[in-house]
Amino acid sequence: MSRTSVAFRIGAAITALFTLAGLLAQVWTPWRVAAVDIAARLQGPSGAHWLGTDQLGRDVLSLVMAGAATSLGVALLGTGAALLVGVPLGLAASAARGWLDDVLMRGADVLFAFPALLMAILLTALLGPGAINAALAIALFNVPVFARVTRGAALVVWTRAFVSAARLAGLGRVRIALVHVLPNVAPQVLVQASIQAGLALLAEAGLSYVGLGVQPPAPSWGRMLAEAQTLIGIAPRLVLVPGLAILLAVSGFLLLGDGLSRERGR
Amino acid sequence: MTAVRLHLRWLLLAVCAVFALLFGGIVSTAQARDVLRVGMQLEPPHLDPTQGASAAIGEATFGSIYEALVRVATDGTLHPWLATRWSVSPDGRTYDFTLRPNVRFHDGSRLTAADVVAGFQRAAAPGSLNIHAATLREVVAARALDPLHVQVTLSAPDSEFLIVLAQADAAIVPARAVATLGQQPVGTGPFRLDGWRRGEGITLLRNPTYWGRPARMARIELRYIGDPTAAYAAIKSGAIDLYPEFPAPETLRTLAADPRLQVLTAPSEGEVILAMNEREGPLSNRAVRQALAHAIDRRALIDGAMYGYGTPIGSHFPPQSPDYVDLTQRYPFDPALARKLLAQAGYPHGIALTLKLPPPAYARRVGEIVAAQLQAAGVTVTIRNVEWATWLDEVFTRHHYDLTVIAHAEPYDYDIYDRSDYYFGYDSPDFHRLMQQLKATTDPLERHRLLGDIQRRLADDAVNGFLYQFPHLAVQDRALAGVWRNAPTQTIEWADVHFSDDGQSVALSGGGGGAGRLGGWIAIVLGALVLGLAGWQLGTGWLFRRLGVLGLTLLAASGLIFALVQVAPGDPAATMLGINATPQAVAALHAELGLDGNALTRYVRWIGGALHGDFGLSYTYRVPVAGLVAERLAVTVPLALLATLLSIALGIPAGILAARRPGGLSDRVIDPLTRLGIALPDFWLGVLLVLVFAVTLRWFPAGGFPGVEAGPGPVLRALALPVLALALPQAAILARVARASLIGVLQQDFIRTARAKGVGEARLLLVHALPNAAAPILAILGLQVPFLLAGSALVEEVFTLPGLGRLALQAIGQRDLVTVQAVVLLAAGATVLSSFAVDLAQALLDPRLRRTSGSAGA
Repeated sequence: MSRTSVAFRIGAAITALFTLAGLLAQVWTPWRVAAVDIAARLQGPSGAHWLGTDQLGRDVLSLVMAGAATSLGVALLGTGAALLVGVPLGLAASAARGWLDDVLMRGADVLFAFPALLMAILLTALLGPGAINAALAIALFNVPVFARVTRGAALVVWTRAFVSAARLAGLGRVRIALVHVLPNVAPQVLVQASIQAGLALLAEAGLSYVGLGVQPPAPSWGRMLAEAQTLIGIAPRLVLVPGLAILLAVSGFLLLGDGLSRERGR
Repeated sequence: MTAVRLHLRWLLLAVCAVFALLFGGIVSTAQARDVLRVGMQLEPPHLDPTQGASAAIGEATFGSIYEALVRVATDGTLHPWLATRWSVSPDGRTYDFTLRPNVRFHDGSRLTAADVVAGFQRAAAPGSLNIHAATLREVVAARALDPLHVQVTLSAPDSEFLIVLAQADAAIVPARAVATLGQQPVGTGPFRLDGWRRGEGITLLRNPTYWGRPARMARIELRYIGDPTAAYAAIKSGAIDLYPEFPAPETLRTLAADPRLQVLTAPSEGEVILAMNEREGPLSNRAVRQALAHAIDRRALIDGAMYGYGTPIGSHFPPQSPDYVDLTQRYPFDPALARKLLAQAGYPHGIALTLKLPPPAYARRVGEIVAAQLQAAGVTVTIRNVEWATWLDEVFTRHHYDLTVIAHAEPYDYDIYDRSDYYFGYDSPDFHRLMQQLKATTDPLERHRLLGDIQRRLADDAVNGFLYQFPHLAVQDRALAGVWRNAPTQTIEWADVHFSDDGQSVALSGGGGGAGRLGGWIAIVLGALVLGLAGWQLGTGWLFRRLGVLGLTLLAASGLIFALVQVAPGDPAATMLGINATPQAVAALHAELGLDGNALTRYVRWIGGALHGDFGLSYTYRVPVAGLVAERLAVTVPLALLATLLSIALGIPAGILAARRPGGLSDRVIDPLTRLGIALPDFWLGVLLVLVFAVTLRWFPAGGFPGVEAGPGPVLRALALPVLALALPQAAILARVARASLIGVLQQDFIRTARAKGVGEARLLLVHALPNAAAPILAILGLQVPFLLAGSALVEEVFTLPGLGRLALQAIGQRDLVTVQAVVLLAAGATVLSSFAVDLAQALLDPRLRRTSGSAGA
């Protein structure tokens, strides 16, 4: 890792920026996030409000910061949960082969048969809208992704010489899977995780846009976009800012994944 | 090198050709001026106003399709309609109506007294869903004296009886046709139903045999566009002539500045209230409600949520009424006082309340501001945005809420406070007494005094937070005239509406019926041919194994969908029947919808039906789901197909250009573009495209779909922007995959050999490399097709396209789970089939893949 790729560095910088903004928003924002001030609405950028105010007079910068926490939080929670379930499943499938492998992979096929966004919409509609349910829905259609990637990478590792050596040394399959196989598939899984986090962010924005994500007054980029749409003629900034935030944050994760995979290929 | 350029130039030309095709639709068509296109917010579930609580039914049909005995004018006076005369007996209990002679229903039959009598009986029958069933049950006898005379006797005098008869739910319908009115409305009005594309709109045609002056418009197209952005785009881009209730007040100033448009505002009968559930908890305490009343700043609310459009109210009464009493200063805005009163009422640390908000934009906006205002007075408010079905179920029917924001649009609706079982649960003997007195009083002065007392009583008890009077905010084409507004019954005088710059007339286009069936047969024959070819090429064993896996996957998927929908909370039958659900009605509806029997029976019934193309009856519209889905496919299939073609036309050449020399100039330009493309939210792109190309430049319509029968020009025009929004992100993905795959192939030995043999670069790329790099590209395309079929819901939402994805969204919102089931099953089927098609194509391209049975997406 003498010289990291440009993609990796840009991706890391963007992701770090939004993560820090989201974390900072938990303790401090320029203005109180939910503070409605009708008299001060639809103001352009100024010293007091760097990105101006929205249709209810709330500070847009504060909303974007707090929205980063929501969007990244839901995306990472969903991806993380899918990792925790999908990776062990994929590992188990690769270790056991036979019927378990068949059952798990056919199960993944069934889940893949559903358009992800439609399923997420259906699930959040049935479970009730909210951040946790949105994360759950995102997790559900990411589980088979991680199971497949892990299994595919693990199958290659199982054929490697050091695994055969471990097996000859009398180690059990479970132990080999955990000690030898898992660390070797981790980089590839991490690359996929970073890409899936980006896609999860897009899904979260879509769910919030149709009102099935986090509920008001908690801020989210997707809802900011939905609420400001009609004001485009009056304050286009209100549509551009959350849209650009989504675009940037998703790009960040995708660049990170791309960068990571290049590091690996080096 | 030149050869490459030449080929790429051809590709570029192909891309341009696709665009030219899309832009080709921009032929300025002469505006037909006897067709009125009306934007509406809420779509009715059916079209029988005498049997349903939805105000949308009346908005769509009353005054256009249906008419009543009498009508109310702006000032509250009554006028003849289908009754030319009426008289009331001295004791106020018997009414004699003389019907208008020579009135014919749309089915050709004559209006007679028997129809009117049957209407009274039907409205008051047990299980009737008429919203005024309680009042109409006061009718103890309705008799036809002769074909044109009806006598009605009430159990007690009711001074408001005639007002009830002027409402949409008292529409006069033919006695023979009542069973099918919901789907095939038959009335006496100036228009009759032409067609209803569910989720999109309703078309009305001029009634040539109308008893009065014929309507001036040949056709009215009602289009359901509830989303404020879509509404703004539709009126601004000229796709809609009239929007009687415009949902985006923030844009009115911009619209008023448009020389082609006219903004009309007028007071309505609608009161927006912060309704409170006073059955239990802190809100059952009058002192608490009074404290909350002090916490609300109506001015800020009207400015913030309605951009100044609206009149503050202090009770449940419209300010334009001569009986109105101004009570807005009864509880001056004072958060500190509110906090103090709350403490005195026993809540020194404040209270926590849940605010459930229905979908309309005004409710969501008011809710958010009210929450912030109450917060300042020490009330912790948790907002929950709910769909209509959920609101009806949880708030209106089961009273499971603390606060909600809603407009009560019915005129003379202060009687809802006399119903202790009503959703806010106000139960006051004093108020009941006042209402009894009012009903028995006909003296105008005495009524005036009583109505004042009623308003004061409601304000004193702070029954609800009385916020503001909802204004009629109409936006219309400046040339439009004759729209009768500001009437207590909220009807538009459809017969008189016309354009003052009346131009040429337009011929109605006929529908193309048999095309769908023919397409189906072609698809079956093609499918059989492909399978036959595949079996011949790849061996029947391979084919049957793959088909077996396909069938099993679909079976498992259908089971999963069914199970998911089963655990959904709420009984669809109860939700459908809404506020008037009796156990008998629910049981009957269960049988009709096939909801009886255990889960396994229902699953088998569902799958059995689905195999025959029968997906059950839609809970919302009560028509076969298969028909709804077929209508939507007529939009979604061309949309998905065009988007796929465009993404291929853009993505593959871009991928080839980039792969030609990795790190070269074109690669450096294309790489960041495709990176951004992948991260681009397609719905956001859609919004931006609407703003640039529809609202500002007016090159394309902002949304909606003219119907396949409109011909290829208008269809392409309508689909151009959504296709672009969907295709660009997909093209970016395709370009990246094509580039990576091609670079991999170009490094292989056979390419070096070919190059060494002197094969030209273009031939090398397109003939030698591309087919070998096709497998991953095909895999991505296989994922794209099902995504575009149902996953494009958000883009369809932005463009209000009546496609499959939007059908799913709408059905989920309306809890029409049987429709949701069908759409998801269809989407799953499409996914499985397209992955099968990809496997097939890959196997045909690469013989090495035929031996393995594994999945191709590795």
